[in-house]
Amino acid sequence: MNAQELRKAAKEVLPSVDVVIGQRAGFDPLHAEPCFATKPEDVDDFIASPLCVHNLASYLPSLKGKKVAVVVKGCDSRTVVQFLEEGLIKRENVTVIGVPCSGIISVKKVLERVSHEPIQSISFDNETVTVKTNKREEKIPLLEVAPGKCTTCQYPNPLIFDVLVGQKLEPRGSAEAVYDDIREFETKSLEERKEYWEKTLGRCIRCYACRNACPLCVCQESCIAETRDPHWMSQKDDPKEKMTFHMIHAIHLAGRCTECGECERVCPMDIPLGQLKKKINMGMKELYDYVPGINPEEKPPMYVFKVEEDKIEEHELS
Amino acid sequence: MKVGVFICHCGNNIAGTVDVARVAEETRKIPGVAYAINYMYTCSEPGQDQIKDAIKKYDLDRIVVAACSPRMHELTFRRTVEKAGLNRYYFEMANIREHCSWIGEDRELNTNKAMEAVRAAVAKVMQDKPLYSSSFAVNKRVLVIGGGVAGMQAALDCADGGHEVVLVEKSPSVGGMMARLDKTFPTIDCSICILGPKMVDVAQHDLIKLYAYSEVEEVKGYVGNYQIKIRKKATYVDWTKCTGCGECMEKCPSKDAYDSFNFGVAPTKAINIPFPQAIPKKAKIDPTYCRQFTKGKCGVCAKICPTKAINYEMEDEIVTEEVGAIVVASGYGLLDIEKMGEYGGGRYPDVITAIQYERLLNASGPTSGHIVRPSDHEEPKTVVFVSCCGSRDKSIGVPYCSNFCCMYIAKQAILTKDHMPDSQSYVFYMDIRSPGKGYDEFTRRAQEEYGTKYIRGRVSRIFPKGKKMVVRGADTLLGTTVEIEADLVVLANAVTAAPGAPQLAEKLHISYDTNAFYVESHPKLRPVETNTSGVFLAGCAQGPKDIPASVGQGSAAAAKVLSMLSKDFLENDPAIAQVNQNACVGCLKCVKTCPFQAIVEEELRGGKVVAKVIQTVCAGCGVCTSTCPCGAIQLQHFTDNQLLAEVNALCLS
Repeated sequence: MNAQELRKAAKEVLPSVDVVIGQRAGFDPLHAEPCFATKPEDVDDFIASPLCVHNLASYLPSLKGKKVAVVVKGCDSRTVVQFLEEGLIKRENVTVIGVPCSGIISVKKVLERVSHEPIQSISFDNETVTVKTNKREEKIPLLEVAPGKCTTCQYPNPLIFDVLVGQKLEPRGSAEAVYDDIREFETKSLEERKEYWEKTLGRCIRCYACRNACPLCVCQESCIAETRDPHWMSQKDDPKEKMTFHMIHAIHLAGRCTECGECERVCPMDIPLGQLKKKINMGMKELYDYVPGINPEEKPPMYVFKVEEDKIEEHELS
Repeated sequence: MKVGVFICHCGNNIAGTVDVARVAEETRKIPGVAYAINYMYTCSEPGQDQIKDAIKKYDLDRIVVAACSPRMHELTFRRTVEKAGLNRYYFEMANIREHCSWIGEDRELNTNKAMEAVRAAVAKVMQDKPLYSSSFAVNKRVLVIGGGVAGMQAALDCADGGHEVVLVEKSPSVGGMMARLDKTFPTIDCSICILGPKMVDVAQHDLIKLYAYSEVEEVKGYVGNYQIKIRKKATYVDWTKCTGCGECMEKCPSKDAYDSFNFGVAPTKAINIPFPQAIPKKAKIDPTYCRQFTKGKCGVCAKICPTKAINYEMEDEIVTEEVGAIVVASGYGLLDIEKMGEYGGGRYPDVITAIQYERLLNASGPTSGHIVRPSDHEEPKTVVFVSCCGSRDKSIGVPYCSNFCCMYIAKQAILTKDHMPDSQSYVFYMDIRSPGKGYDEFTRRAQEEYGTKYIRGRVSRIFPKGKKMVVRGADTLLGTTVEIEADLVVLANAVTAAPGAPQLAEKLHISYDTNAFYVESHPKLRPVETNTSGVFLAGCAQGPKDIPASVGQGSAAAAKVLSMLSKDFLENDPAIAQVNQNACVGCLKCVKTCPFQAIVEEELRGGKVVAKVIQTVCAGCGVCTSTCPCGAIQLQHFTDNQLLAEVNALCLS
């Protein structure tokens, strides 16, 4: 990832759009933050590094009616594609600046590695991260502090773009290996899995950060978790209600989740929410041979009414 | 809120295995229930009066009846509560008969389940909201799909009743299967002689608009207001100019086109008029055989046509018709005899189907009524008929009886003797089904007067031996195997649903059974209605039936249409989807998933985009409600909260 090239590309695009969304350095060396550039000098703040953890595509539906250029990694680009599949954005209003990506960091994992000492600087060389705190300097392989999605990344290159910055990369590992973690978890007994999720989701504080960060949650503040009509759940602080909320969120994303990982990234309680959605995506692949966010021409299976599903036998048309 | 609960004994139907008195007693303890009683027959007049009296006496405002399936008496009781001054939707039915008493014999378990059903119904009724129907105008035109005898009868009866009828027929002429028959049982009168006048009536009736060689492409709308797209298939002949003189057919050099009217008994020309009495009597080109299409040059018909009607550039045309009611009389198909490998169907030319034999018998058929073997055109002396060819055979996928084969085999055997007095016919049968008026006498005549030999048993194999076909089968009455050397074998192949029947059903939103025959609303009491209001059934599309039954059903469907169209306005069912505009986030997933295209996008003042339900189109299926992520679209009378109340009542008990 090369910041100079990215800035150059963004400056070229800027005159034809209302805003270019990129990322810039944040409040400390470890954090980046979204940057909404409307002037060429704003673009000079743009960075391009494994610190760029945000899925900037999330902002697109809320900028309806504006001409927007957005910088996306391979994984983020699937969100753009899914928006197009669902008709949530118009292609002609969006300029996609694609940046091939070999992996990003997980802020939580880095902080854990350095025992939450204040970070003084962070630098990247090939696939090694060098972190300096006031007490030590540590060299860590990037994949050890990357989010789970990077370790099996199948889409390092944006699937949709108008401008591509940088060289295309190879996927990491085989496509089959993507769901290995889910398959492994499924070898556990039903009771074990139930116990695991009750315990894990029991940590939830119902801050709804996962929902708010989710690019594909269309309801947001109209969420069924916060309404009495219909009254699906109460505000009671117990595992059942928490589980109901997370299950509803996961089901709402069936055949829609592009596994961008924003829900996990923003969770203050470090709940592996992506696992639930991955499991459903695995089922969607098996049942409908559908992977969300790949082809803008495709129709998500839950967005059509079909009397006969190809792989679900109900009754046969002769 | 004061709920009244009425628990029905249904004679012994419910009280036999459910302790109804205990159900009533327990029901009285449910919060909100002000009155509960058990009664012998709640649906009877005194039973209904009891409900009305209790509403007045105890000031009840919600009613639950625990009795049979709502499909039986929901409407009865809705009317009852309405007469007593309540909204008809302040009523719920708990099914303690089909769901409880009829399915188990354990009195204790049944009673418990009945109490749970009542609890759920009470919880639901307390959440119910008053709903009101709105009325809408009815289009008084009628669409009839299929121009066979059933469809023509329905069309004529509707037109005689004063309504415009749009009759859509897939093939180039009306008449259907009956037009292909030689004679009809049990009177041996000429089929086309009795059908012809009806066909002419259809053509001449001022109120009938006939679309021959056309198919229903798309059905939109709802009862009383359908928009039908009809595909007029390209005939390559301008029918406004064609006079049906037949000169083109005479001169056409392409002589080996498949003749679907004659079921391939003999080839026809690439441009043809299906049969002399065809209505409309117009020519059409079969482009798979026409040299102009296959070789790119010929043009003989275009040169010869005296009215210059030929147009090789013609394309399919889509026309739209608006109607209020639909009669489906799309007919039947026949089992492909290649599925009966052991009978050599399709492999041996002298093993033919009964409908092909019918064409051989027919004076206007390809052999002018002379019975000849397809292989060498010699007159057969021994003819073997095999009944139940595929029918009543689960392994072939036809578990049912094809209804009329026994009768036409007897007829064909009689006609065979009439045509060739020195011939001998044999019939292999499983049992003879001839329950109609004059039918049994007829099959007896075939045996006693015409000397047809009936052999009770099935045929195991048919194979050639020199110029003969050997039919090997069992004679179960004698307990032996028999072999008959036949000159010609006629298979009574099973009646199946018409090709494309499921696809048409999907367009019409009507249900079909595993054999793809259309399903009537009630097998005894609503035999021509479907579960989609405004769509009615006639003829073999609903199941195999003979001519009298088809004609009867055609008239019955017309009677239903006429009674519906006697009203100027119909009331819609208010139990349909409704959007809460405040909650709707405008993702429009519901628009995309609605099977009825009943939901559209609406922009509110201020630019907010929300979903909007077209009341009259919504069928209340509920797909949208399960699609909506934020619960903004709710099916009235089945809202999330109402169903959750039921679930909670069940889970808490």
